[in-house]
Amino acid sequence: MISNAISLLIAIPLLGAVLSFYAGTKAKFVALIASLIPLALSLQMYMEFDKTSKIMQFVESYNWVPSLGVKYTVGIDGIGFPLVLLSTIVSVLVIIYSWGETKKPNQYFALLLLNEVGVLGVFTSLDFFLFYIFWEIVLIPMFFLIGSWGGPRKDYAAVKFFIYTHVASLVMLLAIFALYFTYQMPDGSRTFDMLTLLAATADKTIFPTSMLNIIFAGLLLGFLVKMPAFPFHTWLPDAHVEAPTAGSVVLAALLLKMGGYGLFRVILPMLPHVDKAFVTIIAIIAVISIVYGAFMALAQKDIKKLVAYSSVSHMGFVTLGAVAFTWMSVTGAMFQQFSHGIITCVLFMSAGTIQHVVGTRVIADLGGLADRMPKFAVIMMAGFMASLGLPGMSGFVAEFMVLTGSFATLPVYTMIVVFLSVVTTAAYHLWAMQKAMFGPILKKYMNVHEPHAYELFSMAMIIVLSLIFGLQPGLITDIMGTAATQVMEPVMTLTEMGVI
Amino acid sequence: MEFSHYAPLWGEALLTILAVLVVLLGSLMKNSGKLMGYLSAAGLVAALALVASNLTIKPTLFFFDTISVDALSQFFKVVFLVVSLLVVIASMSKYTGKGADEYFALLLFATVGMMVVSSSVDIITLFVGFELASLSTYALAAFDRSRKNLEAAMKYFIFGSVASAFMLFGFSLLYGMAGSTHLADIAVASLDNFGPATLVALLFVIVGFGFKMALVPFHMWAPDTYEGAPPLVSALLAAGSKKMGFVAAFRVILIALVALRMEWYMAFAMLAAVTMTLGNLAACWQNNVRRILAYSSIAQAGYIAIAFVVVGAAYGAMPVNVLNMGPIRADQLGIAGALLLILGHALMKTGAFIGTALVASNVSKGSETDPDDISNYAGLAKRAPITAFCMLIFMFALAGIPPTAGYIGKFVLFSSAIYSGLVWLAVLAILNSALSLVYYLRIISYMYLKEAAGPKIKEQKGYVVALVLTLLAVVWIGVFPEAFINWAMQAAAVLLPQ
Repeated sequence: MISNAISLLIAIPLLGAVLSFYAGTKAKFVALIASLIPLALSLQMYMEFDKTSKIMQFVESYNWVPSLGVKYTVGIDGIGFPLVLLSTIVSVLVIIYSWGETKKPNQYFALLLLNEVGVLGVFTSLDFFLFYIFWEIVLIPMFFLIGSWGGPRKDYAAVKFFIYTHVASLVMLLAIFALYFTYQMPDGSRTFDMLTLLAATADKTIFPTSMLNIIFAGLLLGFLVKMPAFPFHTWLPDAHVEAPTAGSVVLAALLLKMGGYGLFRVILPMLPHVDKAFVTIIAIIAVISIVYGAFMALAQKDIKKLVAYSSVSHMGFVTLGAVAFTWMSVTGAMFQQFSHGIITCVLFMSAGTIQHVVGTRVIADLGGLADRMPKFAVIMMAGFMASLGLPGMSGFVAEFMVLTGSFATLPVYTMIVVFLSVVTTAAYHLWAMQKAMFGPILKKYMNVHEPHAYELFSMAMIIVLSLIFGLQPGLITDIMGTAATQVMEPVMTLTEMGVI
Repeated sequence: MEFSHYAPLWGEALLTILAVLVVLLGSLMKNSGKLMGYLSAAGLVAALALVASNLTIKPTLFFFDTISVDALSQFFKVVFLVVSLLVVIASMSKYTGKGADEYFALLLFATVGMMVVSSSVDIITLFVGFELASLSTYALAAFDRSRKNLEAAMKYFIFGSVASAFMLFGFSLLYGMAGSTHLADIAVASLDNFGPATLVALLFVIVGFGFKMALVPFHMWAPDTYEGAPPLVSALLAAGSKKMGFVAAFRVILIALVALRMEWYMAFAMLAAVTMTLGNLAACWQNNVRRILAYSSIAQAGYIAIAFVVVGAAYGAMPVNVLNMGPIRADQLGIAGALLLILGHALMKTGAFIGTALVASNVSKGSETDPDDISNYAGLAKRAPITAFCMLIFMFALAGIPPTAGYIGKFVLFSSAIYSGLVWLAVLAILNSALSLVYYLRIISYMYLKEAAGPKIKEQKGYVVALVLTLLAVVWIGVFPEAFINWAMQAAAVLLPQ
């Protein structure tokens, strides 16, 4: 048993960030080591993790600001741990993918590591104060990644990203305040402890439904903007299009997952106690996100923007699975978070590689690239197949579980999704792939060559992971299943809640 | 009457003597600028130590009960001394030649004035302290003798005098009503003789203090003065002398005019809401960094003014377990939040203005370009990395991003507003916080995301030391806020009946 495992997990990339800032051109080596150690640590934690336990594991708790009731409390359970694993894996791969970065590499790698610090903190903190601090800290490295290394409209995109998500965080903070000031511990003191506060929301005498509705709406907004769900998604395409490839990868694979994590950690425990209309509202938002995201993706000319909208669509499955509130849909939604986290990496990396090898990402200007870069084409193809939900890959399992699980409680919404999005999703993936990579090669691309080995390597690793988790989902869904049971324990289904 | 009886006031005494000494030595010695700088810094450190040795002293009265040394006065004295010290450290790189002795002497006199105000429990003493600080800063605002300086100082002087006139007129009415200049006597009298004259007095006092605190609509002088004065003096004005307005207003309005609670509650609710919103909106349209900082300062004054509203709403409420400090009251929490924000803002603004001073110091005199124009900050991260990094943290801290001093202050203050039922005000304040990011991020993106607009800037030692010290303080308060919260709570208790 490693003591203080989570603190180490957070501290090592932080230290790594400081060191790589001063490491000049050697920054990439520092960054790689500083991200490999947390990966090893999280794998070790995976070995030690009790998959059947419903209580928090690896808990650490210290007093921080006693007068405000703030504690440094971290711990993981089945909700947080898969995402911790995801963060450490993606961080390593993204650093390998960026091996060739030459523009201010020391700052670049330091910012990537700071991002890892932030997301790991979000997925492990059990104190709302701490949670909020990490939630906000994540914005800063991403702001600079977009703003310093981004495309032509980087300033606009960076500022829009920061302000949009910061406003949502502030609304969330207000809701946290309301929880904090309403609930008193038996000894009269206040606490920011997440589990205590969330458990207290079940008590109608402390939190009357009318009040809880407002708190719930505030928290929900904070998470939906981050996910992002329609109609709060408008910051995402801008941020993605302008961000450097590694920034996009981290944004889609890790930052969006913070929103989903919030749904499972905070929203679902409160869902049985708020107005029933919320289920309908969230379900509608989820369905629109899925369908609208897919159709928008179909309409994009820029391959990166296509991938960005596909994120909106795929994250919609997380919302749908969560709100359908059956064991299978919730487990599936958690798995979708993990699965989308890895698959989206390969999509954004493909878009980035095409951009720097060919010089454009406009699908109409591409064609026949597979001819000159066959290895890349195979990997990209595999990534796109994984993303559209090819059986055998992780995306299929996740979306299948969400749809099957949701059909039991939200049949109409599920049918809409099935009819409108499945074909569209397949269509935009295949169309983009076909147009960009296959067909006769254009003359101007005769000199195009395979990308660097490190880029291919990190993309290939993701395909392997997607296959492993597609064929053997139990590796991670066991943990998620326990978490789903635990989330749903108070009220098992929507029927019992009286929604349907 | 023993000499040691006055021990809590040795800090002021020391600085007064030192200021006189600096003037005398300066006229006797040539090229004494450097020495005067060191002397002033040493004196401020010593005064800080003296004040710190009586940090949470029980209220003690001096000089026929006109001066009170208590936790509140000590809190503000620490703020003023720290600000002055940082300004002096930075000034040592700028004011080394002829006239430096006058500069440092004026700065010390201003500090003494502010310290006197923070201790005054008598309206005459308060006024004298106010004028001492104001007259010294009027002169400082024109110190570099450029056209812009003179314009800034003139505006500051005229508005300042008008404010003093309003204040004095309000005071005279209070004296007429109570027959005493003691705040405690006025408090008793205003409970018994409530009448139109008291209301008029309140109005004049609020207008007078409103100018000093730069609340909208009494704020017009602030952007012009902060932009035109020498940048280091702007630091002193925004971080120091403006906070003097707050301590005076706390004492006069919360203690002496408590009988008119409902009236000033309404007035400050409107002033706070309008001030923060207009301050932030106006800042979004500025292209001059010092004007942006000035408007941000106005917005912050709006946040701080929330404390008055909280006290008005929650006054005399039963103590409850608001936080984990045993039973305490929402009004106390509100003042404590304001004090934390005052402390944090004083540091952040001092730092930010010192940063602008460093950037401006590099632009040669007579150059056509405005050294404070935001375009001059392009690529500052490359041209002056330490300054840019410190400014970056100050901007995030001013916007209330955790974990910084700015976040803690806002956190406690806004939560007190929620706790006393002023949810609308808290929501407005939080939305304003988000709005403020627009212009803070604009400065940041100029510094970090734009290509360098000029040659490398020499980061002079004095500026850098002051910047780094400020940075450490801002982060320290944010990461270990516990001691500061407890201190602010004790200071806040002074203003409320036990």
